Parts: sequence; C-alpha cells; structure tokens
Amino acid sequence: MPRAVTTRRKAATTLIAWTIGLLIFFPILWTVLTSFKSESDAIAIPPKFLNFDWTLANYVTVQERSNYFRHFWNSVVISFGSTLIGLVIAIPAAWSMAFVPGRRTRDILMWMLSTKMLPAVGVLVPIYLLARDTGLLDTRILLVGVLTLINLPIIVWMLYTYFREIPGEILEAARMDGAGLRAEIIHALTPMAIPGIASTLLLNVILAWNEAFWTLNLTAARSAPLTAFIASYSSPEGLFYAKLSAASTMAIAPILILGWFSQKQLVRGLTFGAVK
Amino acid sequence: MEWLERNVPKLVLAPSFVAILVFVYGFIAWTAWISFTRSRLMPRYELDGFIQYERLFAAPRWDVAMNNLFIFGGLFILFSMVIGLVLAILLDQKIRAEGVLRTIYLYPMALSLIVTGTAWKWILNPGLGLQEMVRGWGFENFTFDWLIRPDMAIYTIVLAAVWQASGFVMALFLAGLRSVDTEIIRAAQVDGIPTHRIYSAIIIPTMAPIFLSAFIVLAHLAIKAFDLVIALTGGGPGYATDLPATYMYAMAFSRGDLGQAASSAMIMMMVVFAIVVPYLYSELRPRRDQ
Repeated sequence: MPRAVTTRRKAATTLIAWTIGLLIFFPILWTVLTSFKSESDAIAIPPKFLNFDWTLANYVTVQERSNYFRHFWNSVVISFGSTLIGLVIAIPAAWSMAFVPGRRTRDILMWMLSTKMLPAVGVLVPIYLLARDTGLLDTRILLVGVLTLINLPIIVWMLYTYFREIPGEILEAARMDGAGLRAEIIHALTPMAIPGIASTLLLNVILAWNEAFWTLNLTAARSAPLTAFIASYSSPEGLFYAKLSAASTMAIAPILILGWFSQKQLVRGLTFGAVK
Repeated sequence: MEWLERNVPKLVLAPSFVAILVFVYGFIAWTAWISFTRSRLMPRYELDGFIQYERLFAAPRWDVAMNNLFIFGGLFILFSMVIGLVLAILLDQKIRAEGVLRTIYLYPMALSLIVTGTAWKWILNPGLGLQEMVRGWGFENFTFDWLIRPDMAIYTIVLAAVWQASGFVMALFLAGLRSVDTEIIRAAQVDGIPTHRIYSAIIIPTMAPIFLSAFIVLAHLAIKAFDLVIALTGGGPGYATDLPATYMYAMAFSRGDLGQAASSAMIMMMVVFAIVVPYLYSELRPRRDQ
C-alpha cells in the first residue's frame, strides 16, 4: 500500500475524531458562552455564538440573589467530608484485601460493588424518615454521612485495584531488613499508596460533587450544594438561561479544571479501574 | 497477640462490611416490609398482603414509567454501545493528541446532568436551540419539538443520556482494544487481512467480556436514571417522561403515599437483581473452580 493513502486516512480519522469531540463538548461550551450573555442575547434567534456583548452581570446577580458562595461551600464540605471519612474507613479494608487476601476476598469485593448497583430509591424513604425524626434533615452532616456510605463500595474497590499493584516483594524486603509493622507502613507502603489514594480521592470528590439524587431529596435552602441549588434555580421564576448558565458554569468549572490536570486519574477513576 | 495478628485483616475489613450490610440491606428490608402495608403519609407496620403491588400494577402512571424504562433503557444501551465502540475504534487509530480527546469524550460523564442540563434545555427548546439554529442555516421547515410532545419527549432523555455515557463506554472499549494481543494483529496484517476484517473477526470477538460489563453498567444506570428526567423534563409533559425512579419520588414526596413508593422501589430492585445477579454469578464462578 502506498504511504500517501495511510497518511491521508490518518488525517481523515483525526478530523472526524476532533469533530465528534467538538460536538460532545458543545453543550459545555455553550453553557460557558451563555453565562457571559445578557438574558436577551441568551435567547436570541438565530443563536449568537461569539458576536454578543460580553458581560459579567450574571455572575454578580447569582451571588447577590441567592448567595452562591454558601452553596459552593456546602458542595466543598459535603464532597470532601464524605470522601475523607470514606477513605479512613476504606483504606484499612482495601489494604487487608489487597495484601492478605482470604478465600472469600473476591466474593466480598464483588458483593460490595454490587450494592452500588442497587437503586438508591430502595433506601431513600427510611433514610428520609430517620433524618426527619432526628432533626438532621437539611444539614450538611446528614449528607456527609449518607454520601460516605453510598460511595464506600467504590472507594474500597478503587483503593483495592491500586493497592494490588504495589509489589508485595517490597514489603517483604522491608520486613527482612527488620522493619516493624509501623515502619513498614510508614516507609514502604505509604509512599507507594499515595498516588492511588489521591486518585480515589479525586474521583470520589467528583462523584459527591455531582450527586443529585440525595442532595435534592435531603436538603433545602440551608445546606443545598450546587446541584440542588441549580435544580431549584430554574423552576420558580421561569428560565433565565444566562443566569442559570452562570451558576452552572461555576459548578462545572472546578471539575473541568481538576479533570484537565489529572486526565489519567480521571479516566481510570470514571471507569472504576477497568482502564489503566 | 498471635490471635490479633492473624485477625487484623478481618478486623479492619469489618467496619466497611458492617456499614454496607446495615445501611444497604437493613434499609432495603425496611422498604420491603413497608411495601406490604397500608402506609400512606406515615409508615405503618401492620402487614396487609400484596395490596400495594395490586395498586401499583393498576396505576396507569406506573405503566407509563415502566414503558418508558424499556424504551429509554433499550435505546440508551444500544446507542451508547454503538457510539462508544465507534469512538474507541477511532481513537485506536493512533491519532494526534489522543489523551486530550479521550478526556473531552469523558467530560460529560464527569459532570452532573443537573448542571449540563442547562445547555440541553436550551438545545431542545423548540423556540430557541437546535430548531432555530438549523432554520437559521436555511432549512425553514426543520422541526425539533420532541421536548414538548408527550409521545416524543422520552427520546430527548435518551439523547442526553447517550451524550453523557458514550465517552465512558468508549474508555472501556478502548482499554479492551488495547489489551488484544498485538502479535495476532500483526500476523493478520502480514497476511494482508483488511483492517475492518481484523476488527470484526479478531479484535471485537475477544472483547466479549467488556461488552458484558458495559451492558451491565449501562443497564443499571438506566434503571437508576433520575437526575436526567429532573433536569430535562421534570417528568413532563404531564407524566409522559416518568421513569420508575421519578414515579417513586413523586409517590414518596408529593403524593404522600409511602406504600406505593416502597412497592415501586421493590420492583426496581428486582429488575436490577435480575440483571446483576447472573452477572455476578458468572464473574465469580471461574474463581471458585480454580
């Protein structure tokens, strides 16, 4: 086969792949663009792409009207809080399954992961009633607790896939050198485990950040994170696309940026360790 | 001390194990119990047979929700798999800046549809988005009003869901494509077998387990689908785009009918079990044989 054909073909596939990429990215791009438009430009016919008067007014309005930063802070507390507590519970569990596997380890792992597939509606009502009766409804503590438990299986699973890649020989070597269990954990295990823990942290912060089912059902004005805030923003006053886009942009920006700088971890995390 | 050392692995595993056991199965058991009672606004604990299930299957709204689940689930799984596979094969051609593209394809999965739904509401709005954009290009009669048509609105949900999940399926398939033994592929190339034959006859058949995993993940996502509907249609027009999860939500919170909520949750649970249990069984069996 002449070489020119393959080069041309490669250029064609590259073009197609990038066009699809642009198509997939369009709704995200459009949200960002719309956030800088005036309300009338946002619903202009025909739609305006770049030829509009750029303005920051929407961002100011969103903050003034509904205290955006409080919801942002709620999102931060809930997603990091639930992830960190989850890690504290899951690290020992994943460590034990990865380094001291028993006969049933794989069964337990699959069982844990399978619970993640069960629809959340199955446990919604009891949790709701429990929260109502204990006065925890619409508090951040409740959401941290619920999201910790909801994401625990994924945290355990991800940590396990990372820990299993740590060569056991290194631990043995440390033991041969007379290192105690404590020294073994601090000097040999921790440095190798940190990348995996960091990736797990990243993914679970994203999952908790995006969580909508629980936040919509268990929060109101006080402790609503960004997802619940945005869902409520569109309904009562009709759709204000520009302001809604500004709020949405501020909600997705942290993830777009985080994801960009940790592409490998993001890909691996979203596919639950199936993709290395 | 020796006992402790031997059992440390079990002890550190216990909190996760117990938390999941109580939290998931304990509460599911509670829901199951409630589904056999006459609970309305408040939970009641006297058992009363299958009354809630009889009411559920008699309710036209539940019928719509289940129908929608089959339409939505079927199309969502089919299109996500096909598009995901095509994207994976595209990226497998060693094109430029593959990593960047892979991240862009995956972005929709990393963002909440509640938030990206903002753009989708604009795109699907027949007075603004896609319809007006295409009309602006000179196709005056182009119509895209699925969002406001009770018989078509469910397909807008399929559209947004496929947009969100295709990149994820792509990543799974790409990993599968890359794990195929390169020696076999090279041998086939040397024999002059055309590329599309290599894919259809060698690479894709060896990826069967990945197809199964992708199917399971997509199927359970379809059954759990909730924020999609809330973000795009709110279940409307009327209740034309209700899915089981939004039905359950409406019963529990706007209708004050815990019995209906619990019984619909149990049906969803059974559908998930019907899909996941055979899968887990097939995953675990080979290990036991060893």
